Amino acid sequence: MKLVSFGPAALLAAGFGAAFAQSSTAIAGPHPVTGTVPVLCAAGTLSDDDGVFAVGILVDTSTGFLRNDLSAPPKVLQGSFCTSKSTITVEASPMVAQASTGAPPEGFSDTVNFTAMAEGWTPSPAVFTTGAAANLNAVQTRETAFTGDIVVSIGDFTTEGGQALRLVEDPLYQGAVVVTLAPAD
Amino acid sequence: MARLRFLLLAAAALPAPLAAQVAPLTRNVPVIASAPAVCAIQEPSVAAGGLINFRGINGNTLQIDHLVDPATLAAAAASVDIVFDAVCNYPHRIRVEAQNNGLWRTSERPPEPAPGFAYAVPYRATIDWGLEHGRLEADAKVRRIAERSIDVDQPTSGEIRLRLEIEAGASNVQAHAPLLAGSYGDTLRITLEPQ
Repeated sequence: MKLVSFGPAALLAAGFGAAFAQSSTAIAGPHPVTGTVPVLCAAGTLSDDDGVFAVGILVDTSTGFLRNDLSAPPKVLQGSFCTSKSTITVEASPMVAQASTGAPPEGFSDTVNFTAMAEGWTPSPAVFTTGAAANLNAVQTRETAFTGDIVVSIGDFTTEGGQALRLVEDPLYQGAVVVTLAPAD
Repeated sequence: MARLRFLLLAAAALPAPLAAQVAPLTRNVPVIASAPAVCAIQEPSVAAGGLINFRGINGNTLQIDHLVDPATLAAAAASVDIVFDAVCNYPHRIRVEAQNNGLWRTSERPPEPAPGFAYAVPYRATIDWGLEHGRLEADAKVRRIAERSIDVDQPTSGEIRLRLEIEAGASNVQAHAPLLAGSYGDTLRITLEPQ
């Protein structure tokens, strides 16, 4: 690729050489100034230093069923940017009881599904629901370069296997949300 | 200008540099929560078809319709099946406790029961909970706390089924002894607790 750049430069030099022979006025230039901006994306930094979605106590302690008022404060990815067309992808894994082994007993579940959403980057948010057969909206594309905050939130918690199941006791249920920014072709 | 344009085109034709990989592209946020140990028992109800010589359940009180056979004055047969919706989401223990170890007279006790009369009625409590079954014989021989506890090694949800049975002629003295007049009662406690 360097050869391509040098080629015109050599032509320019030859042209100036001819002019110099005919006149005492020296004109240098125009010198083209060029640069490149690579296709670049950065996913920014998380708003909270703890870096986790803390959902708290999952069950109604009087019934053992999943609470229906669960929530966790959203996270903000600050300073994200892409210099060109980009895609945002959100993926998630369900919260699973970490100490539990084997299949849960009849009437119980050891897994809680939820929906993760990344908003602010694309016209439609990227959405991923754990346990769903398909997540058609998990990848969203933005046609233009952009910089801004991405709000990542979780919600719609459900017991895997159905709401008639209760959750086994466990001090730690853990899952994850993964947000990826990538240059698009 | 033709050269300039050519140069610009050349620049644009440069491949996307590797610099796109220097910045982090992925953020991974763990999602954490907990499910504390929970045991719960709901209010009891009488199982369908489970009522013989019992009037039913009123709040937490089970009342026997006719404690004695009017012809013999000995204890009449009675049984009741009651169910409690319940759950324990961890390995636990179910404990059944009869406060008096039988139906004893709740009215004032005479200093010396009359010979030949029964003054307490034994009964049997059987319990089904998940995969576990147990039985408590409240034999009414001594007025004391009688209890039975069963370890349940896995989380369990569903119904606790409690069956109480009084056999015909049950007595704390000889069988079919007539019962002294009075009110008789006992208090049963069912507890789900850590092992």
